[in-house]
Amino acid sequence: MKKFVNDPRQFVPEMLEGIYLASGGALKYEPKYNLIYRADAPNPNKVSIIQGSGSGHEPAHTMIVGKGMLDAACPGDVFAGPPVEFVYETTKLLNSPKGVLHIVNNYTGDRLAFEQGREMCEADDIKVETLLVNDDVAVKDSTWTVGRRGVAGNFFVIKAVGAAAEKGASLEELVRIGNDVIANVRTLGIALSSCTPPVKGSPLFEIADDEMEVGIGIHGEPGRQRTKIVSANEIVDLFLNAVVPDLPFKSGDEVALMINGLGGTTIGELYLLYGIAHKKLESQGIKVFRSYVNEYCTSLEMAGASLTLLKVNNEIKGLLNEPAEVSIRVF
Amino acid sequence: MTATEDLDLILKTMANTIVANTDYFCELDQVVGDGDFGYSLRSGFEVVQAELETFDHSNVGALLKKVGFVISSKVGGSSGPIWGTAFLRAAKEAGERIDISHEEVIAILRAAVTGIMDRGGASLGEKTLLDALVPAIDALETGLAQPGAAADHGTAAIQAAADAAVTAAEATKPMLAMRGRAAYTGERSIGSVDAGATAVGVILQSISGAWREAHA
Repeated sequence: MKKFVNDPRQFVPEMLEGIYLASGGALKYEPKYNLIYRADAPNPNKVSIIQGSGSGHEPAHTMIVGKGMLDAACPGDVFAGPPVEFVYETTKLLNSPKGVLHIVNNYTGDRLAFEQGREMCEADDIKVETLLVNDDVAVKDSTWTVGRRGVAGNFFVIKAVGAAAEKGASLEELVRIGNDVIANVRTLGIALSSCTPPVKGSPLFEIADDEMEVGIGIHGEPGRQRTKIVSANEIVDLFLNAVVPDLPFKSGDEVALMINGLGGTTIGELYLLYGIAHKKLESQGIKVFRSYVNEYCTSLEMAGASLTLLKVNNEIKGLLNEPAEVSIRVF
Repeated sequence: MTATEDLDLILKTMANTIVANTDYFCELDQVVGDGDFGYSLRSGFEVVQAELETFDHSNVGALLKKVGFVISSKVGGSSGPIWGTAFLRAAKEAGERIDISHEEVIAILRAAVTGIMDRGGASLGEKTLLDALVPAIDALETGLAQPGAAADHGTAAIQAAADAAVTAAEATKPMLAMRGRAAYTGERSIGSVDAGATAVGVILQSISGAWREAHA
């Protein structure tokens, strides 16, 4: 393992301390619960929005806490959902008279922690609602898994409900808006390399130099198929052939198009993919309303990318256009 | 020994075993998981190890409940809610008893199994800890029904349960993982033992050893 790290078990707390110190007072940090939250939260006139999830996906979610985005993030260790205590204590601390919204990516560990945490909060008369994000088209729904995974499309859910909450939307309205985004967002990821969780100390899986994993999960879970790497044009075809028919996105639709880096791919490559995807979509009559090209949801240092499409209506367009202030990303 | 003293011994042994096997449990989880199973379990059981003496020992239910709270609060990933719920359901079944019959021990363990199934949605044969735990409880029930069970304080029955768990854990090797993160690996999960089931075998072997020593 070749990483900037002291004790691997302290990787997450030391990272969180860095986020806190870099925020210049905009964020607070509670080390007991891996909790990063807005210094001005909770606000009695606003629903508090919390995401838990595992660490290792930065900037998701501790680095997107700020005005118009999340009020708090309480991640577990790298690639592990938070303990119930983090969820319960964070929700209590962020409790607002307007209620608390939990955004949960659809994984067994995250769901279990947030379900139990919500039950404990409700016993304390805290009003909690949950949004379950499941945008990954690589996983087939079946009776025995928890279903599709939540991946980079999660960003759009946070952006939309974050903007609406800032304007005073009720908890019920946020649930409606969030579920509308979830119903219209689809993602596929492709990995070119593996990644190494600090505690594990070795790569999560083996992949040859000339191979790629199509449909990778954000914790290195395998996807649809392992194949030889192909050209960028063919990779964009793989992305679009999986994502477009899934909703389906149709000629005349307007979309937000995200090319998300998985942690170890240059932003130049991401823009290269973006350009190809943009042209191919427009040639299918699908209009790109807004572009997102960067790292939004990563898997440590994994090389690779995901493509997300969100079909937008006037309400979602308005919310995506709202400003957001994430303190550590100020230029 | 009273039932709460016996339970104290079991919990202490369990916590010591989990802390001592942190790295081994992580290694088991590296095959199809992300290798943090040992650390996850440890983060709850090291609290049990350090603070067990201070927990309410007035009855079996109270002691189990406290452990259940600690595990579900401290352990991240899916292990916290699953192992925590097992203890909380066992606590509910045990109630305020201070003495426990062989039949009641089995009922308490079955309640824990039902809790695990409810929380995680798993059933037998899906390559989870249940595949070692349930055969172990079956063996314990059979053993405790033998004529000599009272005379040896259940020592032989507990050893039979631990052996059943180890055998059953080994038998998870050819199974296809159907739950949790390993399920995403599909066919690739075949050929390696389930980490949770193997941990159950290791823990029960330690408990059996400690039990034999205490009741010799």
